[in-house]
Amino acid sequence: MKPLTFLLRQQWSGILLAVVLGIVALSIANPTFNTEFNWFVLLRSICVVALAAFSQMIMLGVGQINLSVGALGGLVAILVGGLMDAWGVPAIPAACMAVLVGGAAGLLNGWLTVRTGINGFVVTLATASAFNGINLGLTRAVPFYDLPARFVAFGNGRIGAFPLLMIVPIIVTALLAIFLNRTVKGRHLLAVGGNSNAAELSGISVSRTIMLAHALSGLIAAIAGVLAVAQLGSAQPTIGSDWLIISFAAPIIGGAGLSGGSVSITGTVIAVVLIGLIQNAMVLLAVDPYWVTFLLGALILAAVWINRIRTAGMERAR
Amino acid sequence: MTTQVPSSSGAFISITGLLTRGSTQFGLWIILSALWAVFASVSPGFLSTFNLNSLGRSVAVDVVVGFAQMVVLATGGMNLSVGAIGVCSVMLAGYLLQVLGLPIPLAIAATLAFGGGLGWLNGIAITKTGVNSFVVTLATASLFSGGMLILSHGVPLNGLPPEMGAFGRATVGPVPALAIVALAIGGLLYILFAHSVLGRQILSVGANARAAEMSGIPVSRVIVCVHVLSGVLAAAAALMLTARLGAAMPAVAGDDWLLPSFLAPVIGGTSLAGGAVSVIGTILGALLVSTIRSGLLILRFASFWLQFFLGVFLLAAILLERYRSALSAREQTRQA
Amino acid sequence: MSLALRSITKSFPGVRALNDASLTLVGGEIHALMGENGAGKSTLIKIITGVYRADSGIISLEDRDLVFSSPRDAIAAGIAVVHQERNLIPHFSVAENILLERLPTRNGLVDFAQAHAQTRQHLAKVGLDIDPATEVRRLSVAQMQMVEIAKALSHKANVLLLDEPTASLTEAEAETLFRLVRQLREAGTAILFVSHKLEEVLSLCDRVTVLRDGETTLMAAPVVGMTRGNLIEAMIGRSERPVVPRKRAPQLDQPLLQTQALTTSYGHKAVDLTLHRGEILGLYGLVGAGRTELARALLGQGKIRSGQVLVDGAAVRVRSVRDAIKRLRIGYVSEDRKYEGVILDHPIRSNIAITVWDSIARTLGLLTSNDEIAVVAPLAARLEIRAPNLEQHVGNLSGGNQQKVSLAKWLAADVDILIIDEPTVGIDIKAKSYIHELINELADRGMAILLISSDMPEMVAMADRILVMHEFALIDEFVNDRRYETASTRIMDAIHSATAGRVG
Repeated sequence: MKPLTFLLRQQWSGILLAVVLGIVALSIANPTFNTEFNWFVLLRSICVVALAAFSQMIMLGVGQINLSVGALGGLVAILVGGLMDAWGVPAIPAACMAVLVGGAAGLLNGWLTVRTGINGFVVTLATASAFNGINLGLTRAVPFYDLPARFVAFGNGRIGAFPLLMIVPIIVTALLAIFLNRTVKGRHLLAVGGNSNAAELSGISVSRTIMLAHALSGLIAAIAGVLAVAQLGSAQPTIGSDWLIISFAAPIIGGAGLSGGSVSITGTVIAVVLIGLIQNAMVLLAVDPYWVTFLLGALILAAVWINRIRTAGMERAR
Repeated sequence: MTTQVPSSSGAFISITGLLTRGSTQFGLWIILSALWAVFASVSPGFLSTFNLNSLGRSVAVDVVVGFAQMVVLATGGMNLSVGAIGVCSVMLAGYLLQVLGLPIPLAIAATLAFGGGLGWLNGIAITKTGVNSFVVTLATASLFSGGMLILSHGVPLNGLPPEMGAFGRATVGPVPALAIVALAIGGLLYILFAHSVLGRQILSVGANARAAEMSGIPVSRVIVCVHVLSGVLAAAAALMLTARLGAAMPAVAGDDWLLPSFLAPVIGGTSLAGGAVSVIGTILGALLVSTIRSGLLILRFASFWLQFFLGVFLLAAILLERYRSALSAREQTRQA
Repeated sequence: MSLALRSITKSFPGVRALNDASLTLVGGEIHALMGENGAGKSTLIKIITGVYRADSGIISLEDRDLVFSSPRDAIAAGIAVVHQERNLIPHFSVAENILLERLPTRNGLVDFAQAHAQTRQHLAKVGLDIDPATEVRRLSVAQMQMVEIAKALSHKANVLLLDEPTASLTEAEAETLFRLVRQLREAGTAILFVSHKLEEVLSLCDRVTVLRDGETTLMAAPVVGMTRGNLIEAMIGRSERPVVPRKRAPQLDQPLLQTQALTTSYGHKAVDLTLHRGEILGLYGLVGAGRTELARALLGQGKIRSGQVLVDGAAVRVRSVRDAIKRLRIGYVSEDRKYEGVILDHPIRSNIAITVWDSIARTLGLLTSNDEIAVVAPLAARLEIRAPNLEQHVGNLSGGNQQKVSLAKWLAADVDILIIDEPTVGIDIKAKSYIHELINELADRGMAILLISSDMPEMVAMADRILVMHEFALIDEFVNDRRYETASTRIMDAIHSATAGRVG
């Protein structure tokens, strides 16, 4: 298949076009857009968002919802900050411990959902509240500032326009792609999301798969939390408070099917870039930042609507 | 009212019996009374007029926010834009009162209509596109709050007519006026669900939309109605908040309303699947949350831990509810 | 190799779905399982596939007695099922669907090359020539079915159960399927072919078992030498139940509901019918004939391509179910009693009053439970609905009582025209006679009733005139003399000629 045909076939071709057009338009509208520094800012801003989006994307892949993405990430952020500031733990062990805690928290979400039979929506609504509470309880709303210099340098560092921070989401994206596309467990995860009944009849344990998905979601949200601390240079208790909508928006705009089992890593990444581009544009063009919120809502509706038209078209073609 | 359990299976001989076999609301009463007794005995200030009034005012807003979610839960859907409609309504009310100088009753009516209008948009989007309410209201939440904040820049308006703030502080005897408003709204909703055609239609759509349709219920119209109602209630809560604060401050609504809007109804016995609501339960649920918040403050627990307890409490409440309804289903089957 | 089910009995609250039914499958045979609505076919299938457990009776595989406690047990025993509804992962490829639980790996990662190679072998067995990497949702329904069969075979199943496999297939696709099924037979698989289509069974199958009213009326009979008449007789023939006579013969002079040359989006072709006031018009047909679809078209669901619907002499366009009920006063007792006829989680009171809330409301749309009870209590008493009180959830009632509730709401609405779809399927004998009496009474009082049923004795006992529908067209219409021999023979002959007319 020719490359152009391949591109057009993909669901994310629309938003890719939007990104390309956006870059072109911005370059013309404001010369500071194409500077090294601005690209650095733009790329750095999408690192945390990309991970938050992946965290939710995995849940959509297995046919569930995780409302605690932000709260979990925020809690981990505080933990890593607290470990480094209050307990003097060096950066890498602190990050590892905090991320593991995040994975455990995700596993808790999964365990509760599966064992109690309560709707994942309600479970994660409750745990979000609990995680937020622990967050506030530990910090008393005071950020942790005293972080190891190398950690902060990692958050700020760059090579040209390429932020050092971005190494992490790149690695995560690659690993996630391998997991979801090329490993048995990953395929089973998407199978459960696509048709849990068929998966169960084939011998896949739906419960264990859902728990795994929750654990992974927590793990990735935790990594996002650690990155956020590096990016800000301090562990703010407000980290994660605005992740919820974006964590849904990016995968959905990127073409995730709402019934489960159909997610696109590429689409999610492009959507994250698109959102980052919009935010960047708002700043450069001195446009009211609230336009981002507005556009986000409009984009979600547009994406879902287009998705429906596509599926309806495919039904009719059959 | 539709939360039901036949309690004719013999005498209750224990508190756990009461908790698990009585109706959800009855169980909540017990827990509430127990908590009040505990808090009051530890600190008599809990029952002081000051504390009760402040409790009453904050509960009043939370209750109406819970109602806004409850009516949509009744049809088996949800409204994630409750907070966004609240923000929009707060800004509109502030604008109408301060900038345009409209008389208060007119501003109130216009704000309520506006909230209803936003809800109408939600309803139409859901019924015309067939997309589920989670995604639609997730998107409109962004759309509404983004749009409103573009227009108003989220600037709080402090120059409202003094009557607003005065109403917020007013009391009728020992009871804050805002609490009375909340109870009145609750009363109207009770009448809606227990004694009106629309209420019954809403509950049947939530319980089984297909069967309702085949019995002649205009399902799409009902869903739109419910979202309009949700919008009006969100606007009402916004007005009450404005009165309580004495100023139009959009930052206070918004995402802060998401959890409480679900917490109150769900703890109170309203089913997420639709088809069953409890107005009294939602009031008790909101009261419970506020009681715990106030009590923790009195006991000098760091109020930060409130969030944590709330989360744990929500889970516990739902677990209890499931256990209870499994028990009652078994009893009903035995009786049939 | 053989799979035997002996003396299977299965009851649900108030009704016996299977009564001493038996079935024996042998390897290298295509065995048909036939039966009408309510005959017990789907219950038997659920027992074979491990979804239900029989109350009594034995399942034995190669003379070893088995107990299935879940569908996975049945699969493990070598019984593979291809259901009527597709059960695949839509966004996954053909290869991933077939090999889902045993994806080949290399160095820890899925080896797609190996998976595709293995899949090509499985696909070759069913003669499906498609790229194993194709996403399953892009396939036609027929191809999807083949994929499921390939998957079933890949498990080295000894028994393959095909449930109404040609339901969504074209004739050509069905032919391909039959070729495959014959090949599997040659290879020694035992095939259970569940179908309601006579001509298919006669041309494809080696043996046939027929269920009727939960019992086996024809057990592993050889198809060679079987006639359509035998099969029809076995499926819908006589049974020993008393006939409930009408009190008076109706005057068929006031047409209330008519269709003229009605052609619908469901596939009906030029249907003409007239339903008079006070008449019970029977609409008989085998499963899939298009009767329920006709009812839905009359209720405003589905599109009317050409022709007219007239109510009380005037041409009407039915806009919605609500419109049909409120304006045209047509009611519909649904075939799907539990999930469309009633709301299981709500009380009897609101289930019956649902159609009249608008009219019993006072000002401002307000009404109380007592207002409902005023309407509901007399109906519940009249219909003898057995429940401790009106607040009882309908889900807790027996099937017969649920059906009474489903009917009662149309009595409350005081409709002029009532379409009743399969009123007594899965209902105990006593409730059945009660409902028959009730229908008689309603017609005596002037209601126009369209009775859809595949229960022959019921049809002959109740209908004043009988229409026979086959493949979305009316093939016969006659006045019922209420004599079982003549009426049933006439119906069976009509279906017989209609099916004989098809090129096998």
